[in-house]
Amino acid sequence: MTHSTANVPGPDELREMSPEEAMLVGAESGGVHVVHRRERYPIPGTKAEKRAERGVSFMFGLAALAGVAFIVVFVAWPYVYHLPGEGSQRFRFYTPLLGGLLGLMLLGLGFGAVLWAKWLMPEEEAVEERDDEPSPDEEKLMTAATLSVGFEDTGLQRRRMLVGSLALAGGALATVPLVALVGALIKKPGNQLAHTLWGQPPEKYPNGVPVIYSDGRRVSPNDIQAGGLATVFPGVPGGITSANTPTLLIRLRPNQSVKSRKGQADFGWGDFVAFSKICTHAGCPASLYEQQTTRLLCPCHQSQFEVLQDAKPVFGPATRPLPKLPLGIEVVDGTQYFVGRHDFVEPIGPAYWERP
Amino acid sequence: MTATRERETASEPRSRRNQPRTLLGKTGEWFEERLKVARPTRHYLNKVFPDHWSFMMGEIALYSFIVLLLTGTFLTFFFDAAMGEVRYNGSYQPLQGVEMSQAYASTLHISFDVRGGLVIRQIHHWAALMFIAAMLIHMGRIFFTGAFRKPRELNWIIGVSLIVLGVIEGFAGYSLPDDLLSGTGLRIADAIMLSIPIIGSWVSFAVFDGEFPGTAIVGRLYIVHVLLIPAILLALITVHLALIVRQKHTQFPGAGRTESSVSGERVYPIYAAKAGGFFFIVFGVLAALGGFAQINPIWLFGPYNPAQVSSGSQPDWYMAMLDGSTRLFPSWEIHGLFGRYTVPAVFWPTVVLPTILIGLALAYPFIEARLTKDRAKHHLLQRPRDVPVRTSLGAMALTFCIVLFISGGNDLVASAFDISLNAMTWGGRVALIILPPLAYVLTYRICLGLQRHDREVLEHGVETGIIRRLPTGEFIEVHQPLGPVDDHGHGELNYAGASVPKRMNQLGTGALRHARGFFRPVVEKPEIAEKLAEVEESEEASDAAERRDKIAVELEEVEAERRQLTD
Amino acid sequence: MTEDFDVDELGFNPAISATGADPQEAPQRDRASSSLGVRRRPRRAVWRRRFASGVVLLIALIGMGGAYALFASSSGANTATSTAADVAAGQQLYETSCITCHGNNLQGVNQRGPSLIGVGGAAVYFQVSTGRMPAPGQGAEMTRKEAKFTDEQISQLEAFVQAHGGGPETPTGNLRDTTLSLGQGGDLFRLNCASCHGFSGAGAPLSAGKLAPTLKHASDTQLFTAMLTGPENMPVFNDNQLTPNEKRAIIDYIQTLKESNDPGGSGIGRIGPVSEGLVIWVAGIGAIVLIIMWIGAKS
Repeated sequence: MTHSTANVPGPDELREMSPEEAMLVGAESGGVHVVHRRERYPIPGTKAEKRAERGVSFMFGLAALAGVAFIVVFVAWPYVYHLPGEGSQRFRFYTPLLGGLLGLMLLGLGFGAVLWAKWLMPEEEAVEERDDEPSPDEEKLMTAATLSVGFEDTGLQRRRMLVGSLALAGGALATVPLVALVGALIKKPGNQLAHTLWGQPPEKYPNGVPVIYSDGRRVSPNDIQAGGLATVFPGVPGGITSANTPTLLIRLRPNQSVKSRKGQADFGWGDFVAFSKICTHAGCPASLYEQQTTRLLCPCHQSQFEVLQDAKPVFGPATRPLPKLPLGIEVVDGTQYFVGRHDFVEPIGPAYWERP
Repeated sequence: MTATRERETASEPRSRRNQPRTLLGKTGEWFEERLKVARPTRHYLNKVFPDHWSFMMGEIALYSFIVLLLTGTFLTFFFDAAMGEVRYNGSYQPLQGVEMSQAYASTLHISFDVRGGLVIRQIHHWAALMFIAAMLIHMGRIFFTGAFRKPRELNWIIGVSLIVLGVIEGFAGYSLPDDLLSGTGLRIADAIMLSIPIIGSWVSFAVFDGEFPGTAIVGRLYIVHVLLIPAILLALITVHLALIVRQKHTQFPGAGRTESSVSGERVYPIYAAKAGGFFFIVFGVLAALGGFAQINPIWLFGPYNPAQVSSGSQPDWYMAMLDGSTRLFPSWEIHGLFGRYTVPAVFWPTVVLPTILIGLALAYPFIEARLTKDRAKHHLLQRPRDVPVRTSLGAMALTFCIVLFISGGNDLVASAFDISLNAMTWGGRVALIILPPLAYVLTYRICLGLQRHDREVLEHGVETGIIRRLPTGEFIEVHQPLGPVDDHGHGELNYAGASVPKRMNQLGTGALRHARGFFRPVVEKPEIAEKLAEVEESEEASDAAERRDKIAVELEEVEAERRQLTD
Repeated sequence: MTEDFDVDELGFNPAISATGADPQEAPQRDRASSSLGVRRRPRRAVWRRRFASGVVLLIALIGMGGAYALFASSSGANTATSTAADVAAGQQLYETSCITCHGNNLQGVNQRGPSLIGVGGAAVYFQVSTGRMPAPGQGAEMTRKEAKFTDEQISQLEAFVQAHGGGPETPTGNLRDTTLSLGQGGDLFRLNCASCHGFSGAGAPLSAGKLAPTLKHASDTQLFTAMLTGPENMPVFNDNQLTPNEKRAIIDYIQTLKESNDPGGSGIGRIGPVSEGLVIWVAGIGAIVLIIMWIGAKS
C-alpha cells in the first residue's frame, strides 16, 4: 500500500492546498491516479444544472410520496379475504398496491441515487495500481524463518511419541463431536421399509384388514363401476395418514383380464384389482388412471404402468411394477366389503440398497 | 477546473490546534482517536472499481440476498415450524375446517391474516428465485471472460459453493410450508436419499427421524434454512467480497488498461452512489414482483397428504434441472449386485450427475490451467471469442442444462404445444445427447468468425457506408482506417484483446468516444464549451497547466505500458 | 345536381361525399350552407337527434332482451321427464349425426365408435354439450369445442339414448348445493381429481397425446356428468363411490376456485413454479440487466 511515499507533502503544504488538490495528493499516495475529473456544471446556476437537480429531486420526492402512500394503504386498505359475493373483493388490490408503492419508493430512491451520480456528480476516471508484485524477498525469508523456527520449537519433528499421540487425539477430536451431535439422529431402518400397515397380525384382524375410503367408510364392490377407481386405505389406526398405505382399487371391465406375476394370480377379486399408489420410482402417488388404455401415469416423472400386466412399467424411468394388494371379501350384515388379506409381498415405493 | 468554493476555506488560516469544525470532521476525529482510521479510510474510499455493466451481476445476487435476510426475518416472527395437526380457522374459506399441519396453517395465517404478510412472503420467494438466477448469470460472466484464472481460483470455488448452498437453501425454504407441492418434492428427496448405495436407508431415516414423512422434518429444515445455511452463506459472501477488495477487480482490455492497474471510478462518492442506488433498484424490482405477480400460492395446492398429488408438479425453477434429468433417465436399475443389493434408477440422475457437474465446475480453473499450461496471473479479461474452446465448452454445458430445464417441465410444454408426453421424453433424451456437441461446433465456428472479423476490420478499417464511384466505373465503399497504414493500405495495428470499433460512431476511446449516453448521444453544446474555455483561462493558468502536464505524463506512462503489453 | 342531404344524419363523415366531391377538400363553410349543396344542421339539433336515436336503440335492446328472457324456454335444466316426442326427435338427430360411428342400434361400430347402450343421458349431455361429439374424426383425444346442438336438441338426444339402454341421467337442480364444506370439497377434489386436472383445474397431458382437459370452461352440469360417466379416459365415479352430495361439494369447490380472486396480484396462470421461473428470468433478470446496461453506460 505504500506508493510514492517520498512525494507526500507535509501537513503545512497540505493546508496550503485547496481541498481538491489535497484529495488528489491523498489518492496519489495510495496509488490511485485520478486521470480525468471534470465538474458536470462548471458554470454554476445554469438552466441545465437546475434541470438535472430537479430531475434527481423529483425521483426522491416521488419516493417520499410513495412511502407515505404505502403507509396509508397498509393501515387503511381492506385486506381480509372474501369469496366473491360474500364481501368486498378489494383485498385483491392490497398486495399489489403495497408491492407497487414499495417498489415505487425503492425505485425512486435507486434511480435518484444513480442519476445523482450520472448527472450531478463530477465526471471522473481513476486508475489504481494493482500492487501486484510478489512480496519482497526479505519478507518471504523472514516469514519462512518464523514458520520453520516455530515448528522446530514445537519439537514435533523429532518427538515421535508426541506426534503419534497427538494424531490419535486429533482423530478423536474430529469424530467425537460428530458422534455427539449427529449420533442421536441416526435411526436403524431395520425392515420398516419392507412393511406397511396393511400387514397386521391375523389375531387382530382374522377376516383381513378392512379396506376404507378416506372418510372412513368401508368399501363395497358395488360402489365402484367398471372403469372406475378409488383411493383406499387400511382401516387401522394411522392407516389414512401413513405414507405407505394409499392403495388404488380399480374395477376393470368384464372382458379385461390381468396377466399376473408369479404367485399373485389370486390377489385380485372378481373384476377388481388393487395396487399400491406409491410409485416405485420416486414415491409420488401414481394415480392418473386412463381407464380406456388401463394405464396408470405418475405425474412426477411420467412413469406409466400397464394395469393389465400387473402394473408393470411400460414407459418412463420406473423399473419395478406397483406391488399388488391381495384382496378378499368379508360379509357384514349381508353386504360384501373388501378386506386386505395380508401385506404387499414386496416393499412398496422407491427402492433402496438392501431391498429384499 | 472546479468551483471556487474550496478556495475560500483554503486561504483562511487554520488554528494552531487544527481541530475539525464540521460534523463529519468531528465524527472522523472521534474514531481516529480510538482506532487510528485516517489512512485506511482514505485507502478504502479511494478504491477504484471498473464500471462495465457486466460486472454488476454479482451485485444483483448480493442485494437479493440482503432482501432475503430482511424479509426472511419478518417471516420467522410468524411461521410455526411444527407438524402437529390442526384444523384451519383463518379467513381463507376454501380451507376452513381442513386438517393441516401447524406449519401450513401458520403460512396461511401469514398470507391472509397478517397485514402485509403476503407481500413480504412473495418478495421473499421472488428474491430467492432472483438470487440464484443472478448467481448463475454472474458465474456465466466469470466463466466466459476467464475471470476465474489465477489468482482468483479461490473466489471461483467460493462462488460455486454459494450456488450449491443457495439451491439447497431454496429447497429447504419452499418445503417449510408443508404444502402438497413441496411435500411431493420432499417425498422425491426421500427417494433420492434412499437410492444412495449402502447408507441410503440410514440417511433417509436420520433425516426424517424414521419413516417418511414423520413429524420432525419441517422443524429440522427450518433450522437449516434460517440458521445454518444463512450463516455459511454470509461467511462465504464476506470472504468472496474481501477477496475482490484485496485482489481488486478484473477488467476488459482497452486503451489505458494494463495488467498492473485497474481503471474506473473511485468508491466515494460516485461508485457508492451508483451501487447504493442499484441496491434500491433491485429491491424495488423485487418489491414490484412481490406485489404484482403471485408466487407459491400454497392455498391452492392444499396441505400435504401422501395420498394426493397434482399433475404439473414441478419444483422451483432452479431444481428443474434435476427434475428433468430424473424424467429423462431411462429405467436402468442394477439388481442383484453382490448377490442381493439394488442400485435404484434414481441414483444416477439425482446423485451422481449433480456430483459430477459440481465437481467439474469446482475443478474447472485447475483443469484449464493444466491443459493450457497457463501459470501467469491474469487481471485482464478475455473476450469470449478469443478463447473459442472455453466458450464452446460453456455453450455445450449451457445447452445441456437448458435441455434438462425444459425437460423438467415437459408435461407443461406438452400440454401448451399439444405434443405427446411420451414424445417429449424421447425428444429430451435425444436432444440431451446430440444438441450439446452441435452447440460446441456451432459456437466454435462463430467464435472463429468473430475473431476473423476483428482482424479484418483492424486491417481494412471501418466501413463508412459511403459508396464512391471511381472514374473507371467501379463502385467501392470507403473505409476509415483505425490507425497508420502501410503502402498497401493495410492497417498496422495488432489485435490487443480489446473490442474493435466496427461502426463510425464507436471511434474514439473511453471518455473521448463520440457516442456516449444510453438513450441519446451526449453532445456538448458549443456555448458551454466556449464558457468552459473562459472559466479555465480565468483560473490561475500556471496551476491548471501544471496539473495538466502531470496528468499527461501519467497517461504517457500508462500508454507505454499498454504498448509493452501488446508488443 | 345537388340535394339537400344532411351529412350529420349519417352520424359519421363519409369518405366519399354524397355529392361525389372529396369532403377533405371542403373548405370551412358557414353554418347555413355550403357550395357543395350539403346543408349542415345547427349543432343543438344534431345532438338532440343523436340522443333521441340512442334512446330508441336502448329501448329496443331492452325490449328484445326482456322479451327473450320472459318468453324463451329456459335452457340447460333438463327435466327428468321426457316425452315420446323427445325420443323421436332424438332419434332423428341421432340418425343424421351419430349413426355412422355408433351404429343403427347404438351397438357401436368396430374401430369407429363405442356402444352407447347403457351410457345414459348424462354421458350424452357431457359429450354433446362440450362439443366433443359429434367427433370430426378419430384421434388420441377428443377436445372441447363449440357445441353443435342446442340445449333442446341435446335433451332430445339424451332422451333417445336413455330410452335405448338406460344408464345414469343428467342431474337437475342446484349442483352446488351440498352439506359438505368448501374445505371438504377441496379435499375430495385433491384426492380424486387434482392428479389429472391439476390443483387449480388447469389440466394436464396424459400418456401419448391424451389430455385431461382444463376445467375452466366446464359448467356445473358438465362437471357432474363427467364424474358420473367417466368420458374417454376419465375414471367413472358412480354415485355409490362419490355420493351426489360429495360430487356437488367438488363442483362447489371447483367453481368457487374459478370465480375467486387471487390475493397476491396476478395469478400468472395458477400453474405453479414453471410460470414463476419464466417471470423471474424474462421480467426480473431481463429488466435488471437492461438497467445495469444503462447504469454502466458512459454519461
